[in-house]
Amino acid sequence: MTAKGKTGISRRALLAGASGTLIASRAGLGQQPAEVKVGLLVPISGLYARPGTVMREGAEMAVDHINAQGGIKALGGAKLKLVVLDSGDTTEKAKNAAQRMVAQETDLVAASGAYLSSFTLAVTEVTERANLPMLTLSYSDLITERGFKYVFQTAATAGSQARQALPQLIKLAETASGKRPKTVAILTDNTGASIASAKAMREGLLAENQLQLIVDETFTPPLADATSLVQKIRSAKPDLLFFLPTVISDAKLLLEKMNEFGLGQGKVPTISFGIAIAEPDMLQTVSPELLQGVLTCVASWGAKGHETLIAELKTRYKEPWMTQNAISTYGDMWVIKDALEKAGKADRVAVGEALRTMDGGPSKYYPLGEIKFDEKGRRVGAGMTIVQWQSGVPVTVFPPELALAKPFWPKS
Amino acid sequence: MLRMRSFLPPLLFTLAYAGVSLGVTNSYYQLILTLVPVWAVFGLSWNLLSGYTGLISFGHAAFFGIGAYATALGQIYFNISPWLLIPIAAMLGGIAGLLIGFPTFRLQGHYFALAMLAYPLAILYVFEWLGFQEVTLPIKRDAPIAYMQFADPHIYTLLGLAIMLATIVLTQVIERSRFGIALLAIKQNEAAAEAAGINTLAWKLRAIMLSGAIAAAIGGFYAQVLLVVTPQSVFGMLVSAQALTVAMFGGVGTVWGPVIGSVILIPLAEILHAEAGARIPGIQGVIFGLAIVCVILLAPEGLFWKLRDLLRKRTASKATVSDATETAAAANVTALKPAARQGAATGQVVLEVRNLSRSFGGLKAVQDVSFRLHKNEILGIIGPNGAGKTTLFNLLNGFLKPSQGEVLIDGRDMSGQRPHVICEAGVGRTFQVMRPFLRMSILDNVVVGAYVRARSDEEARKMAADAVVRVGLSAVADRIAGELSTKELRLMELARAIAGRPRILLLDETLAGLGHSEADEVVAVIQQLARDGMTIAIIEHTMQAMVRLVDSFLVLDHGAVITEGLPEVVTRDSRVIEAYLGKKWVGHVAN
Repeated sequence: MTAKGKTGISRRALLAGASGTLIASRAGLGQQPAEVKVGLLVPISGLYARPGTVMREGAEMAVDHINAQGGIKALGGAKLKLVVLDSGDTTEKAKNAAQRMVAQETDLVAASGAYLSSFTLAVTEVTERANLPMLTLSYSDLITERGFKYVFQTAATAGSQARQALPQLIKLAETASGKRPKTVAILTDNTGASIASAKAMREGLLAENQLQLIVDETFTPPLADATSLVQKIRSAKPDLLFFLPTVISDAKLLLEKMNEFGLGQGKVPTISFGIAIAEPDMLQTVSPELLQGVLTCVASWGAKGHETLIAELKTRYKEPWMTQNAISTYGDMWVIKDALEKAGKADRVAVGEALRTMDGGPSKYYPLGEIKFDEKGRRVGAGMTIVQWQSGVPVTVFPPELALAKPFWPKS
Repeated sequence: MLRMRSFLPPLLFTLAYAGVSLGVTNSYYQLILTLVPVWAVFGLSWNLLSGYTGLISFGHAAFFGIGAYATALGQIYFNISPWLLIPIAAMLGGIAGLLIGFPTFRLQGHYFALAMLAYPLAILYVFEWLGFQEVTLPIKRDAPIAYMQFADPHIYTLLGLAIMLATIVLTQVIERSRFGIALLAIKQNEAAAEAAGINTLAWKLRAIMLSGAIAAAIGGFYAQVLLVVTPQSVFGMLVSAQALTVAMFGGVGTVWGPVIGSVILIPLAEILHAEAGARIPGIQGVIFGLAIVCVILLAPEGLFWKLRDLLRKRTASKATVSDATETAAAANVTALKPAARQGAATGQVVLEVRNLSRSFGGLKAVQDVSFRLHKNEILGIIGPNGAGKTTLFNLLNGFLKPSQGEVLIDGRDMSGQRPHVICEAGVGRTFQVMRPFLRMSILDNVVVGAYVRARSDEEARKMAADAVVRVGLSAVADRIAGELSTKELRLMELARAIAGRPRILLLDETLAGLGHSEADEVVAVIQQLARDGMTIAIIEHTMQAMVRLVDSFLVLDHGAVITEGLPEVVTRDSRVIEAYLGKKWVGHVAN
């Protein structure tokens, strides 16, 4: 049964290969390929299909733009071709998809993926062994702590994001409200990313920033009732609330309860980490009034300089705004393009080497820093973005050079 | 020799599979070929508990995950090799099985299934709380083989195959031994199994420990293949479901079921994911689900049983001629004249009941019942419906604990003991509702009852064969129970009850549902048993047959003894007639 499947697919692969060479020879460019294949391994089915689809949209836009601007010049104007693979919704499926990618798409020069950091961890175990450069938005510190040579983390790592965010948030509060926040509450769910951020804050970051932790609650999603959590907030009256949900229904439940208790709409400034609270799906269940003023710290976001991209995403894909998934994957394609230009040949090992040694100057699509990777594969100077819900849209308010709007702080 | 031959198919299958694997050079197909034995072994481990005992576990991910995390964390924190960690994981899985099984086996049916569901979900949160959301196995570049990290993916497949072969052989050995028979007996009727002398809790605990150990070992290997362990990927609902899916698709309660299920479903899911999913994302899940639904509808017990039944039907239609021998089966039993047994009831007392009572809330089902059963006697226990006859039997063989009173077997008080203990003391019983193992041969059905006395599997088979001869079924001993008539099934139940050589036999409506001449045949067998020295208490409604069979009667009504004595005396007793037929008949009969 498996053997039959094998011949079926390899015949198809053979055909694809044959047509590929056909196009190449017709283009008459000698040895240079007319097409350079780039992989995108993201969840486009199952639980995480929505963010995965947005990543594909970002990648498609970038490939179209690159090809419209003349393709890879070092390769005689060769066009980029996106190969999308579905990582599914489990770690096992993601690893299988990665194995399929390296076994059957042998002419890929680089890839981007795989959304969840647990998927990325499994996928890069495969791509590393196949010497396939992999760019990722996943920000678990673990991804670049294994000594891998072919994984490139474009976002600031989880630990570093919390470190960068706190001083900025305090500064923001100080300039907006005129007084420095002193006490904080943490309400976090127990999923991987939330725990990592909360842990960094508890273990030193809060103390470094002279913040006192007065409420510290961890819950398991989904919440059945947020009353007791909100009561604790109300009686403790913290200056800041760090709220780290992963499930939209939890965010809705807590924000509604806060409003009911008279703490909502910024009376207790609410700050989140991660994209959950700024996903377009939020608006389907939570009214924009409740979200008004809520801040979240994310790896990347549609920002100043991306206005035309945001507009194109809106018209082409009907997305209401540009999340980190779209802009970051858009940027990945450009980085791969730059690496190809530097390598001068469509070869994955050469592209990997180019990525390791590249110095592409200031970053255009990722927040702050440069297009340059350190020995671990982390982007040098990678910053982060603070986004605030303003009139039903999460807009970038920090860093100032990327901000699309001014942040506001409730003056209570 | 017979045993060796049965190991040949799995060995050939494994070798063929290994051959295919070595021929595949594509690393993606190789990975799928590795995952097939992984899920097959996981399905087999589930099958060992749930397939054979019928206690459905929705929570096998608990063991799988424990194995996976033990293997991963042992490498990260203690730098131990997975070659050592996988056996350690198996041990932990066995211990987890004991810890989970001990409290959970108090539950039965759906309650057991639901309770099992809770364990992996609870453990999942524990591992999240401990901060093990994402664990990756460290790369060992200097000693890859010592840490089970092979550059050649074929080796993973071969290792997975080795584990699968070992699990198949182990399952086959268990299937044919006392262990497997005990589990099957539990599946059919746990109460009957206890009554047949099987310590059901002990066997169930052994099954869940072994099952947990196998699941944990393969979980450890899975971690080694996947290289990343997350709570969802090893403790998640989908993992538990995977074991059920492959086993139920392929066939429950057979060693081949999970293997067939895995060989078909795992590659199918991947091919759908790669081919259909690339065109319409998500469609793979729909097709996969529909395929499973269709197969379950067409072959509710799994592909293996469907195919086997089809094959059996084909061979059976060729062999109908041999049925002629069946009619002569019980002919060697000759009816005994009732008169010959007069006076048997004067021997030594083997069972004595003193003031036995049992109430359910306000209902006194059995109240203050006392009687004696003499060696070699046949005692008929009669009474109208609801008189407490079956409750009395349940008190005698330990299904129920008496509220008051005692049951003395050979002078020893056995009241309140577990059924299998009472069975070991020499009390066998049959049931009002028959519980044959329909797919097993008559001989295999009877073997279940023999293990209470037998020391070895051979001895058990000998004793079972002996019991089959005694009830006159030797001509049909190899037929499967599903093909038998009611009379033959009753005789088979009788054989099962006497296979363990009890001294006292409790028969609960053994003649129910039999025609006149059929009842006579069974009566003749029972009489022969009594003649061979067995002491018998029988509950029956058919007075006609009873009068000819028993030495004395015990009459119950509303849980209490109304009268006891010789048949001819008891049947004329006005209290008995009143209890059975109502007051107005008393006068009629007296005339």
